[in-house]
Amino acid sequence: MIALTRVLALWRRRAPWLVLGAVISLVALASGVALATVSGTVIAAALLGGTLAAPLWLRVLAPARVVLRYVERLVTHNAMFRALSDLRVWFFRGLAGRAAGGLGYRRSGDVLARLVGDVEALDGLYLRILLPMAGAAMLLPILLVALWRLGPGLTIGVGLLFVASAFVIPAWAARLARGGGKRVAEAGAAMRVAAVDAVSGIREVRAFGLEGSMLASVQAREAALFSAQHRQSLGVAWAGVIALLCGQAALGLLLLNVGTLAGVLAVASLFLVIAAFEAVSGLPRAGWLAGQAEVAAGRVVAAAEEPSEAGAEPLSPAAMPPGSALRFEAVRFRWQPDRPWIFDGLTLDIPQGFRVALLGPSGSGKSTLAALALRLATAQSGRVLLGGVDIATLAAGELRGRVGMLNQATHLFSDTIRANLLLANPAASDVALWAALDAAQMGEMVRGLPERLDTWVGEAGMGFSGGQGRRLALARALLSPASVLILDEPCAGLDVDTEREFLTTLNEVAGTRTIILIVHRLTGVEQLDRVWRLSGGYAVAAAA
Amino acid sequence: MSELKQGAARWLRGKAEPSSSLVRWMVALGLLGVAAAIGQAFCIGQILDGALGHPSHWSTPDLLAVFAVLALVRAATGFLSERAAFGTGASARRRLRTEALGGLLAAGPALLRERSSGELVATVIDRIEALDAFFARWMPASRLAILGPALVALVVLIVDPVGGLILAGAGLIVPVGMALSGLGAAKASRQQFSAMGRLQARFLDRIRGIGTIVLNGRIDDEARGLAQAADELRQRTMRVLRVAFLSATVLDLAFALALVTLALRFAARLSGGQGDPGSALFVLLLVPEFFAPLRTFSASYQDRFKALGAAEALAALPEAPLPEAPRDIRNVAAQGIAVAFENVQLTWDPARGPALDGVSFRVPAGETLVLAGPSGAGKSSVIEILLGFVPPGGGRVTLNGADLTTLVPRALSRLTAWIGQTPMLFATSIRENIRLARPEATDAQVADAVRAARLDGFVADLPEGLDTTIGEAGFGLSGGQAQRVAIARAFLKDAPLLLLDEPTAHLDPATETEVLDSLRRLAVGRTVILASHSAAAHAFSGNGFAVRRLDLREGQVVTARGVA
Repeated sequence: MIALTRVLALWRRRAPWLVLGAVISLVALASGVALATVSGTVIAAALLGGTLAAPLWLRVLAPARVVLRYVERLVTHNAMFRALSDLRVWFFRGLAGRAAGGLGYRRSGDVLARLVGDVEALDGLYLRILLPMAGAAMLLPILLVALWRLGPGLTIGVGLLFVASAFVIPAWAARLARGGGKRVAEAGAAMRVAAVDAVSGIREVRAFGLEGSMLASVQAREAALFSAQHRQSLGVAWAGVIALLCGQAALGLLLLNVGTLAGVLAVASLFLVIAAFEAVSGLPRAGWLAGQAEVAAGRVVAAAEEPSEAGAEPLSPAAMPPGSALRFEAVRFRWQPDRPWIFDGLTLDIPQGFRVALLGPSGSGKSTLAALALRLATAQSGRVLLGGVDIATLAAGELRGRVGMLNQATHLFSDTIRANLLLANPAASDVALWAALDAAQMGEMVRGLPERLDTWVGEAGMGFSGGQGRRLALARALLSPASVLILDEPCAGLDVDTEREFLTTLNEVAGTRTIILIVHRLTGVEQLDRVWRLSGGYAVAAAA
Repeated sequence: MSELKQGAARWLRGKAEPSSSLVRWMVALGLLGVAAAIGQAFCIGQILDGALGHPSHWSTPDLLAVFAVLALVRAATGFLSERAAFGTGASARRRLRTEALGGLLAAGPALLRERSSGELVATVIDRIEALDAFFARWMPASRLAILGPALVALVVLIVDPVGGLILAGAGLIVPVGMALSGLGAAKASRQQFSAMGRLQARFLDRIRGIGTIVLNGRIDDEARGLAQAADELRQRTMRVLRVAFLSATVLDLAFALALVTLALRFAARLSGGQGDPGSALFVLLLVPEFFAPLRTFSASYQDRFKALGAAEALAALPEAPLPEAPRDIRNVAAQGIAVAFENVQLTWDPARGPALDGVSFRVPAGETLVLAGPSGAGKSSVIEILLGFVPPGGGRVTLNGADLTTLVPRALSRLTAWIGQTPMLFATSIRENIRLARPEATDAQVADAVRAARLDGFVADLPEGLDTTIGEAGFGLSGGQAQRVAIARAFLKDAPLLLLDEPTAHLDPATETEVLDSLRRLAVGRTVILASHSAAAHAFSGNGFAVRRLDLREGQVVTARGVA
C-alpha cells in the first residue's frame, strides 16, 4: 500500500482534474441509480394513485444521466492522460538519477522493458480501480439511509451483503493477485527466457537439430504459466460468483419482506438495491487489478527511488580543472563484496591529448575502467583524477561534459537523425552535424536519403545496418564537446573491413582530444601513443 | 481500414476457427444466464404484484424458491463462462504459439537477416499473450451482443407487444447511432489504444536509452520532451474522443429512452386501469438485461484492436511447414564426407548483388579447406549453405555425391558440427549446454568432450562444476570459455563434417592461439571447412595440415589451391 500511496501522491498536482472527474463520475452514478429507482416507483405510484412528481423526475434524470456520463468520460480520460504523463516523467527522472549513479549502466534492456510494463500496469489505477471504489463508497450510505425505513434488520442485512460484495471480496481478490501475480510473472519470465534461447540460438538449434526440444521447452514453460494463470482465473471466477450471490441474497432478503412493506416503498427499494449491486458488480475484477497494480507500484517505486550505489554528489563541487589529463591512482574496485577484485591497485596515467589503447580479454575490467572515469561506479580505495582534481569532488554533470563515452550500450533513439545527433550537443549547427557525419563516413549515405537529416531512425536504430548505426553513434560522440573520449569496443558487431575503416577514420577526426580505446585486440591501423594490457587487476604497459 | 488491417482481420478469423465450439459453448452459457435473469425478473414482478395488492397466480414462497434456484443458475453460468473463457484463451494461445514458434524454427537462421531476435521473441511471447482477450472475451461478446438482446426483446414482445417494439427500437438506435458518429466505439477504442501505444513506445525507447541520455547530460531536456509529447498526444486524442465517445452516449441514450418511455407508458396504462403491475415491472426489470450484452460488447472493442495489432505481426511470420515424410537419406556418412560445390549461386538481397557467383570446389573426405577473403566475400554463405540454413540459388552442392537439397534437415544436422563466431549459450547448466549436441550422451562422454576441449580446468574452479548454470541469470563466461563450450559440443557430436565460421574473430590473440590449438585436435580425421581471415587461417593450416585454400572475393573464387 505504501508504494501505491507514493504513486497517488505524485498526482497531487493533478488533484483538481482528478477530483473533478471523480465528482462528475459520482454524480453520474447517483443519477443512474436514481433513474432506475424512480422508473420503478413511477409504476407503483401510478397504480396507487400516487404523486405526479415521479414522472417529472424521470424526465429530468434521464437526460441528466446521459449528459453526465458523456462529460464524465471526457473529464476522467483527460485527467487520466495528465496523470499518466506525470507518472512517466517522474519515473524517467528517478531512473535517470539512479542511472547517473551507475545503476542503469548495469541494467539490461530487458529489465528496463519489464519496469516499463509495470508503469503501464498503473495506467488503469484511476479509471478502473479508484473511480469504481469511490462509487461503491458513495453508494453504501445512500443504500443504508434509503433502506432504513424498512427496518434495521433488513437494512443491516442488505448493508452487510453490499459491504461483502463491494469491499470484502475485492480485497480478497487483491490479495489473490498479490500472491499469485508473482507466480504468474515468474512463469512468464521463464517462458520468455526459453523463447529467447530458441530464437537467439536459432543457428545452434538448426545446426544441432534441436527444433523439437526447443519447442518442447517453451511449451513446458507455457504450461506452467497457464497453470499459474489458471489458479488466478479460478479465484477471480469465484470472486465474481460470490459477489453475484451477495447481490442475489440481498434481493431475496428484500423479497422475503415485501409482504410487510408499503407497495411504493417496496418497489423503490428493490430497484435501488438492484441498481446499487449492479453498479459494484465490476469491483471484484477491480480489486484483482488493484492487487496487480500494487505489486507493480512496489517495483516502480523501488526502481525510481532506489538509493544510488555510486558516490553521492559532492555538496559543494570543486571547480572544473583546466586540464584533462586522466590519472588512476592505486584504484581497488569490485562490483560486489562477494566478487573478486577487478582492480587491485591499478595506477595509470593518460596525459591530455594522448591516444591510448587498453587491451585485455573480456572480464579483465576494461569497461569498468570507463565506468570509474565517468563516476558511474566509485572505487573502494584509491582515486581517479581529472586534471589533477579527484573526480569525486566534481559535479557529475560537469565531469560527463568533459569525458564522453561511446560503448555498445549507446542507444539510437526512435527519432530523426538530427535529434539523435543533437543529443550530444544541442547547440550544434547543421554545418557541424554534416561535418560529424562526414567524419564518421556517414555523410554520403545520409545525403542520399530523401529526408536527409530528418530521416527517422527506427526502433533501436533499425533501418540502419549495424555498421551504419555504430557510425551514427560515433558521429554523435564526435559532436560532443568532451575533451576525453572513451570508446569501449566501438567496433563490436562490425565486420573486419568496416572495423578498419572506422579506426582509420578515428585517427583523422579525433583532433586534440584524448582518445581512450578499449578493445580486446588491435587491428594494426590504430595510431596510438600508448598501449596497456589489463590483467590480474593491473595495467601492464605494452608496446605502442 | 487499411489493407494490412484487413489482412490481419482475415488471419484472425482463420485462426479463430478451431475455437468456435468453445465459443458456442460460452454463447450458450451467456444465453442461459440471460434466460435465468428473465425468469428472475418474472418472479420479482409477480411478488411485487402481490405487494401492490394484485392477487398473483403464484404463491410467494414458490416464486422465491424459483428466484433462488435461478440465482444459482446465473452464478453457475457466470462461473462456467469464466472458466470457458480462460480455456478458450489458453488453448488459442497454446495453438498459436506452437504454430508461430514452429514456423520460426523451421524458417531457420535466414529469418534473423531480416528481423531482430528481440522482435521475434516479442511476437511469440507478448503478441500472443495479447490475443487472449480476443478469443476469451471479444468472440463470445460479439455474438451475445445480438443474441442476448434478441432473446430479451422476444420475451417482452410476447408479454407486451408494444413494449417489445419500444425495446427493439431502442436497441436499433445503438448500431445506427454508432454508424452516425463514425463507428464511434470502434474509433474511440482505436484512438485511445493507439495513443497509449505511441506514448508507451516513446517512453520505452527513452528508458532503454537512459544511459545515453544521462551520459550526455540531457535528463532535463528529455523529461520535458516526454511531458510535452504526452500532452500533445492527450490534446490530439481528446479531440477525437470528444466525437468518438458519442457512440457510448448513444448507448446511454437508448437505455434512458427505453426505460423512460416504458415506465411512462406503463404508468399511464396502470392509472387508466389497464394491464397488471407485475408484467409492467417485469418488462422494466428487463431493460438493463437487454442492454448489458451491448455494454460488454462495447467494452471489449479494445480487445479487438489489440488483437489486430498482434495479428499483423503474427501473420507476417512464416507458416509452420507440413510435417516432413520420414524419409531418411542414403547413409552418406560411412567413411568421412567429401564436399563438392558446382557452380553455386546465392543471392540474399537482389539489390546488393549475388553473395556467391559461380563458386566451385571439391574437398575430399578427411581434408581441410580454408576459405579466405574479406568480409562480404561469401565465406559465411558457403558455410550457411552447407548447414542447410539456405538452399543454393543455383548450381549443385553434394556430400559424397548426394545432392544436399535431397537431405532432410535432421539428416544433414547429424552429419555436421558447426562452430560460429560467438556460440549461443543457453540458460541452463554447462553440462546441458554441451549435451545438446548429442542428447543421448552419457556423463562420461560429456566429461571426455570437456577434457578434449580443454574446458576441464575452468570447470573445476566453478562452484558447481559442470552443473553451474550459465546465461543471463547465471555465471558469465568469457568469449574464449564460451568458444570452448562450442568445441566441447563438437567433440561430443563427433560428426564427420566440421564447419568453422570465423571461430576466433572475437578473441584476443592469446586466447585465439589456445582455441586454434583445440580446433586442430578436433579437426583430426574429419572433413573441415574453415572460413577465416588469413592470419588465423595460416595458423590453422600450418602444423602439418594439407594446405587447401580458396580465396573468395565478391562471391567469386579468386585463387584456389589444392581444391580444383
